[in-house]
Amino acid sequence: MKKKLLAGSLAAVMAAAAFAGCSQGAQTKTAKEPAKKSETEVNLTRSGDEKVTLSFCWWGNQTRNDLTKKAVDLYMSNNPNVEIKVEFTDWTGYWDKLSAMAAGGNLPDIMQQDYGYLGSYQSSGQLADLSEFIDSGVIDTEKINKSVIDSSTIDGKCYGISSGVTALMMDYDKAIVEEAGVTIPQQMTFDELYDISQEIYDKTGARTYFDGGMNTLKYMARVNGSSLFEDINAGDDTSVKEHFALVEKFAQAEFAISPDVLAEKNPYVVETKPINDGTTWNDFSYCNQYISICSAAGRELGITMYPTVEGKDTKPMYLQPAAFLSVAETSRNKEEAAKFINWFINSVECNEILMAERGMPVNTDVSEAIKPKADPVAQVVFDYVAEVNTVAGSVDPPEPEGRAEVDDLCNSIVENLRYGDITVEEATESFMTDAKRILDEAAK
Amino acid sequence: MKQTEKPPKSKKTLAQKLNTEKAAGYVFILPFIIGFLAFMAVPMALSFGFSFTRYNILESPVFIGIENYMTMFTKDAKFWKVFGVTMYYVFCSVPLRLIMALAVAMLLVRGTKASGFYRAVYYLPSIMGSSVAVAILWKRMFSGDGVINTMLQAIGIPCSTAWLGRSDTAIWTLIILAVWQFGSSMLIFLSGLKQIPVNLYEAAIMDGAGGFQKFFKITLPMLTPSIFFNLINQLITGFMAFTQSYIITQGGPRDSTRFYAVYMYQNSFTYNKLGYGCAMAWFMILVIGLLTFILFKSQNKWVYYESEG
Repeated sequence: MKKKLLAGSLAAVMAAAAFAGCSQGAQTKTAKEPAKKSETEVNLTRSGDEKVTLSFCWWGNQTRNDLTKKAVDLYMSNNPNVEIKVEFTDWTGYWDKLSAMAAGGNLPDIMQQDYGYLGSYQSSGQLADLSEFIDSGVIDTEKINKSVIDSSTIDGKCYGISSGVTALMMDYDKAIVEEAGVTIPQQMTFDELYDISQEIYDKTGARTYFDGGMNTLKYMARVNGSSLFEDINAGDDTSVKEHFALVEKFAQAEFAISPDVLAEKNPYVVETKPINDGTTWNDFSYCNQYISICSAAGRELGITMYPTVEGKDTKPMYLQPAAFLSVAETSRNKEEAAKFINWFINSVECNEILMAERGMPVNTDVSEAIKPKADPVAQVVFDYVAEVNTVAGSVDPPEPEGRAEVDDLCNSIVENLRYGDITVEEATESFMTDAKRILDEAAK
Repeated sequence: MKQTEKPPKSKKTLAQKLNTEKAAGYVFILPFIIGFLAFMAVPMALSFGFSFTRYNILESPVFIGIENYMTMFTKDAKFWKVFGVTMYYVFCSVPLRLIMALAVAMLLVRGTKASGFYRAVYYLPSIMGSSVAVAILWKRMFSGDGVINTMLQAIGIPCSTAWLGRSDTAIWTLIILAVWQFGSSMLIFLSGLKQIPVNLYEAAIMDGAGGFQKFFKITLPMLTPSIFFNLINQLITGFMAFTQSYIITQGGPRDSTRFYAVYMYQNSFTYNKLGYGCAMAWFMILVIGLLTFILFKSQNKWVYYESEG
């Protein structure tokens, strides 16, 4: 009987193998192809070639899954010798799964990577160096801003190509705002947000959600001209304290969505966001998610920048790579994977399907080409990114290992604050101590 | 199996070989042995080893002695919280589930035409119990605008509690889910009930015993072996609970439903601290082992085996 538990607890180890099964398609040897050919030409020369199977995993939501599958199907019909097996999960499940796959040496040929994780996957040698494919022209970077490639370049080698840029946003329900008769400025201060929230609640009864998570906390450090992880290491709790004070202020307000309801309508999952059913009038996220959120909410939402603090001349808003496409070091078909990435990033036909759902395309020609074809919803994202671009500061340095645990720590402290279990001082102290301990341990 | 010389393919030798009791025995247990070695013994040994290392999955493990255990017991406040939550869940859900199972088994033991059908129906939740679909169903049922509240409102109780959003009620929705899955214990009780000799009841009726007396003086004592078996079984299942917490509540609110297995999983795969996760697994094994040991020791105090007279 005891062994039964073991089987369960150790299923973890097995899970690695099981999960990884997906990525272990019948991989055959890479078709030797000279790089840089037009698509039709490639089709002709390839038709008789051996079949290549690639696996492709990403995190996402319903919209992204549907669009990406459509794009992958198109690629497969263009390249009949390539079969791509896709797999997707939500954000949290994705990293659990990916680390289990990495443990089993079975990372997918092509995987979506994130700014916060790229560093640790690179340092442990899990990611293939894409520089050689960039040099050989398999991945064309001519129309991509150098800073985009730089963001995923470590020690002179490139480990991922950004699928698009994104920025923090606050989205809101236009009808409710209109009903309340308030106007939402392009970027308000936190105080203004508080007043507007009160007014909207008085007039419509719609409640307000305030994101207490890491996005806002990191943003707060930027407002103060610093970076959160540097603050933690230096023991500077100014921004952390300010952030938790705001969380408490917004949680205790009359207009706040109650923590019970918030626990149920998880704002970190697109499909359950409290804005979807009008419980709240606002929501916080990244703007590349705007399309999915609108689709989940079933209506077009308004969009504005994250609030700021009055009288700060720092540039807290920033553009960041929404997601990278990376190739596993263990992949047996690196070149084929690189070709797919090239198509994914640089082809107009692919991005016409994806429509900036992974962020604004990094290839300037592509973004120009698809912009006129974008539906009004996607158009909003394009305009928003352009707008943020005018005020954006530089992106924070890549995040250290241990960030996933600090994320959870922050969420759990914020939850306690919202329920009124702890004071701002206690929250600050416990965050600073525990975050430092977690980061120190992870850095060992 | 163990002969070193390869005999020619003579039917007789093969038959002889397979006919020896030893060979047959080994062949029969071979699938289990292979499974046990590959999927239990080796992973168990590995996990024990990993529990003394810092192992982030992506890089090779580094030996750190008992540091993981020290962190667990002295530094990680969440560990004890999670341990407490799991104990609470186990000690509430297991007895309730057994009472439920016994009650339904008592009803079904009288053989009517439909009892086969009912047995199947009541067993169904146990099969689906830990599935993701049921977890999602549960989540919808207990949400603020879910079926439970709608039903309460229909009978005149104005209730719009977000059951899963409150730390005092969320754990109970999971306990109810566990109680609902009483099927497998019920089947064991059913077979236990059928084995109770009818003449005991007949004698009791002759002596003028009522329903209550029959239950407490005959049924319950005669059923103690089944109760004992179910208790140990369910205790272990209870400690391993994962899906309910992971899918329905994600451990929240305020960690009130974060089960041990979930926290262990998070440490292993979300925080990439597989060494720490393994240490947690071994502590759980110790706890379950201890509880099982105590139960076994207490056996002669309350479990009645007929054969022993």
